[in-house]
Amino acid sequence: MVRPLGTLEQLVMDRMWSWGHPVAVREVLEDLQRERTLAYTTVMTVMDNLRRKGLLTRAKDGRAYVYRPAQTREQHTAAFMGEVLAGGADTSVTLLHFLDHIPPEEVASLRLALDTHLQGRTSTTP
Amino acid sequence: MIAPAVLMVLTVMLTVMGPALLRRISWLERSPRIGIAAWQTLSVSIVLAVLLAGLSLAVPAIPWTINLADWIRTCAMALLAQYSTPGGAVVSATGAAAAGAIIVRVTYCLAVDRAVAARTRRTQVNALALIARPHLHYDALVIDHAAAAAYCLPGRVRQIVLTSAALSALDHNQLLAVLAHERAHLRGRHDLILAAADALQHAFPRVTIFRTARRELGRLVEMLADDSAARHSDRTTVATALVRLAEHGLTPAAALGAGGESAPSRVRRLISPFRPLGAGRSTVAVLAMGLLVASPIFLAMAPASAAGTMDPCPKDTQSMTM
Repeated sequence: MVRPLGTLEQLVMDRMWSWGHPVAVREVLEDLQRERTLAYTTVMTVMDNLRRKGLLTRAKDGRAYVYRPAQTREQHTAAFMGEVLAGGADTSVTLLHFLDHIPPEEVASLRLALDTHLQGRTSTTP
Repeated sequence: MIAPAVLMVLTVMLTVMGPALLRRISWLERSPRIGIAAWQTLSVSIVLAVLLAGLSLAVPAIPWTINLADWIRTCAMALLAQYSTPGGAVVSATGAAAAGAIIVRVTYCLAVDRAVAARTRRTQVNALALIARPHLHYDALVIDHAAAAAYCLPGRVRQIVLTSAALSALDHNQLLAVLAHERAHLRGRHDLILAAADALQHAFPRVTIFRTARRELGRLVEMLADDSAARHSDRTTVATALVRLAEHGLTPAAALGAGGESAPSRVRRLISPFRPLGAGRSTVAVLAMGLLVASPIFLAMAPASAAGTMDPCPKDTQSMTM
């Protein structure tokens, strides 16, 4: 399995999402440095990239910038999955879904067919 | 001039009757692999017929003989004749342009689709890096989400993605079935089968056969992966996993009808008695596909080979050589 890239971005976003309040780059750096050594500029670059991608927003607080997530993790995930499941022209070509979309009444009829089949199997095997 | 006309008739026949015929053969679903090959063969034959029609307009029928000197001489004569007849050059140019345009158009659409797919994959990988976690026991990434879903990212990344709702909706065996299904997609490079069909559909949006072929290939590819999953567990487990995911998935209204709804036919197929295609019918299918591809090639060559049996250079024309 190939691990997705951007693990530092992931670490930063994890923290930003769980904290839930605006933070300066230095606070993120100090927290990350408990696990590994990192330069201030590295973290700043990562956070600025995240801002340019629309994941973080920043505001001036005195002389420094403070960052906060543009959306909560739940909102972000929901937006992403909405796109994946809506299967727009782009994703339908690229992603292979286990299941395409089924109307609810069709789901009910499939459940009925499956249950009938399962009953038929259990009654024939003692 | 007979070959282009016959090839165009063949094209129309294949376009009109081909899809109806293939959809009537219900036993194609019993061997999705042969079904896939059948739709691909039909698509290729149609493109080939149009292509050869264009080429045979461009190049006059040149008789085949074993004698090389004769052949070269008749070649030159035929070409001279073609260009000296009024309108001959125009007909040739039209044929060549048509054939060239088809090749360029399909190649272009294929390239655009590949680029779009690569970009989508990149955004997926980046987004998944932020919100997905690798599962501890299964070879898959998990996203916390209330709607059950499972999909895979083909290509170089080869990643299976499950939502937390899918994990809780399925038991261990059903999960293994879903993973086996997705692995079959990844290993079999089913995305390439669909990409080729997509390119044809995008290249000729008005030709319904390519749209039908894309839809049928989408369905058959799922059935092929279902069969592979069923070999790892059993058919009922795969069917149950399908129904349970359908029950726990939210269906966005905008997406309804987009996928051609293959799931009902897949479930019904999995719970009805499994009868793999016999050797007899498989052989018939393979032979029929061979004939299908060969027919445009044969029709393009037929006038030339017919001419080859005749005297290449009748006496009275021999004096007017180059």
